[in-house]
Amino acid sequence: MTQKVSVLIIEDEKSICDFVSKTLQAHDYKTTAVHSGKEGLAQLTSSLPDIVLLDLGLPDMDGMDIIRKTREWSSIPIIVISARTQEKEKVMALDSGADDYITKPFGTFELLARIRTAIRHNNRMVDSHVNSNRPYSAGGLKIDFEKRLVSVEGKEVHLTRVEYKIVSLLAQNSGKVLTYDSLINQVWGPYADDNNRILRVNMANIRRKLEANPGEPKYIFTELGIGYRMLEDESLA
Amino acid sequence: MKEKREQKKDYIKHMESKSREELEKNHRKNCGIALMVFVAVTFGAFAFHEISADPSLNIAMLYVLGLFIVARYTDGYIFGMLFAIGSVVSVNYYFTYPVQSLNFTLEGYQVTFVGMLVIAMITSAMTTNMKEQARALAEQEKQLMEAQKEKMRANLLRAVSHDLRTPLTGIIGSSNSYLEMEDTLDNEEKRQLVSHIKEDANWLLSMVENLLSVTRIDNETAQVTKSLEAIDEVVAASVVRFRKRFPDAEVKVSVPDNLIMIMMDAMLIEQVIINILQNAQFHAHSSRPTELVVEETEESVVVRIKDFGRGINTAKLKTIFDGDGYQEGENGKQDSYKGMGIGLSICRTIILAHGGEITASNHGEGAEFRFTLPKEKEE
Repeated sequence: MTQKVSVLIIEDEKSICDFVSKTLQAHDYKTTAVHSGKEGLAQLTSSLPDIVLLDLGLPDMDGMDIIRKTREWSSIPIIVISARTQEKEKVMALDSGADDYITKPFGTFELLARIRTAIRHNNRMVDSHVNSNRPYSAGGLKIDFEKRLVSVEGKEVHLTRVEYKIVSLLAQNSGKVLTYDSLINQVWGPYADDNNRILRVNMANIRRKLEANPGEPKYIFTELGIGYRMLEDESLA
Repeated sequence: MKEKREQKKDYIKHMESKSREELEKNHRKNCGIALMVFVAVTFGAFAFHEISADPSLNIAMLYVLGLFIVARYTDGYIFGMLFAIGSVVSVNYYFTYPVQSLNFTLEGYQVTFVGMLVIAMITSAMTTNMKEQARALAEQEKQLMEAQKEKMRANLLRAVSHDLRTPLTGIIGSSNSYLEMEDTLDNEEKRQLVSHIKEDANWLLSMVENLLSVTRIDNETAQVTKSLEAIDEVVAASVVRFRKRFPDAEVKVSVPDNLIMIMMDAMLIEQVIINILQNAQFHAHSSRPTELVVEETEESVVVRIKDFGRGINTAKLKTIFDGDGYQEGENGKQDSYKGMGIGLSICRTIILAHGGEITASNHGEGAEFRFTLPKEKEE
């Protein structure tokens, strides 16, 4: 018998709570729902869930504080639930340690995919040596991290050093959003210019090398105002 | 009730004290003008008196000029009159024989006196009239502007209440039917009701997102917060989001080979693209995939969205962005539900706030929407 994955839902809107709980239970997750930040923090420390769904607009405390407090002692994956227009809030949540976000209103499929991805990445962090050098493969795009080889539909693609670095970062976090700032930090270091123009230029070049039609990307998606997300690795999904 | 009256009284008192303050301020200003002109004119008169052998004509002219200026630049009659009396007295005292004493029995003196007063009166009356007219004109203009704003607000409100109420009626109706007749409906019928609810809810969502996007535009200055964005990323993200809502919609995208970065609010431009695509989806009945083309010119980027459907009614072309197309209902054909009531007018608002242009036209096989975004230097 496999152990069910436990999900803690911190959301004050009861109807959303109900719908999420029902959906997840139907897909074999164990759910606990709380309606305030205080209860959430208490549940987090007492029941140690495998993943947290967190609404940022809680009545009693700022969702951002919950993320920071949790990150002081744990790497439990946190998925933030937020409205569409609040990009700044999402970026702030991601930069303070949230793993991913999902925009209200969301569908079942999207929610399940995000949860799967977040759990998978968390597992990989635990046994990173085994997994980090596995090749990436999704819809015709293959990346061999050991040989530093990128190919589309069997044809090798030549990337510059920086371009390869960006692509491999996105691929190792496939299915997960990476913010502009975190990409810039990891590729150009902490003292890089704040201006993300250089990242945009590199991304434009990458898209033109990898995608058949850069106007309709298949592998790397832009999340406006937030960052980039790469198509989930097929062998892991 | 009592409290309200009390409040009103307070308010009136407040306004009264305010206007009294204003009046006092004006009074002081008028006093200042009259005194200054009087001193200046008297100085001038003394100067003439010193240099000229027979200065009386010049002195008289000087005082008349001063009188005219005072009457023109002060409010009401009183300062002009005072100046007239003052000048008659001072001329009498300083410049007519016997000098340094008052003598009102001089020949023809009454005529001068009356003449000065009449000049003061006529000029004051004229200026007062002029000021009154200018104020009335300004007032009128202000009222006109207010009326226009009011009309826009009313239009938006009507569009909102209409566009929101229609899908809500559908949602409530369908869910009521489901709950009341759960036992008698077969599965297919239940499915239909729920999918109607879903469709209407999605429509509501897009309406609300449109309205929310307007709040990102500054109310007073109609400005948006712009940052440098790659246009192909914005287009691609918009199409992805559009496809998520309409999985069977067909869109063909083509972007130029070089990277174009434009100052914009990406979320708003995304909203524009989605609105236009959605409009094509619901109205065009396109026979081929909608085409989205990005082009670059010297000073702007052009985004063209072309469908191959029935086109736009020529009579409607002109007003399509006005946001009141839904109330026409021509030929009794109420195409209003899912008519982009406010969607297209919001598109125009967004594009104008970016300093671009948006147009709609027919191209023979369907309709084409086209908008531009100006290139500008990074701030």
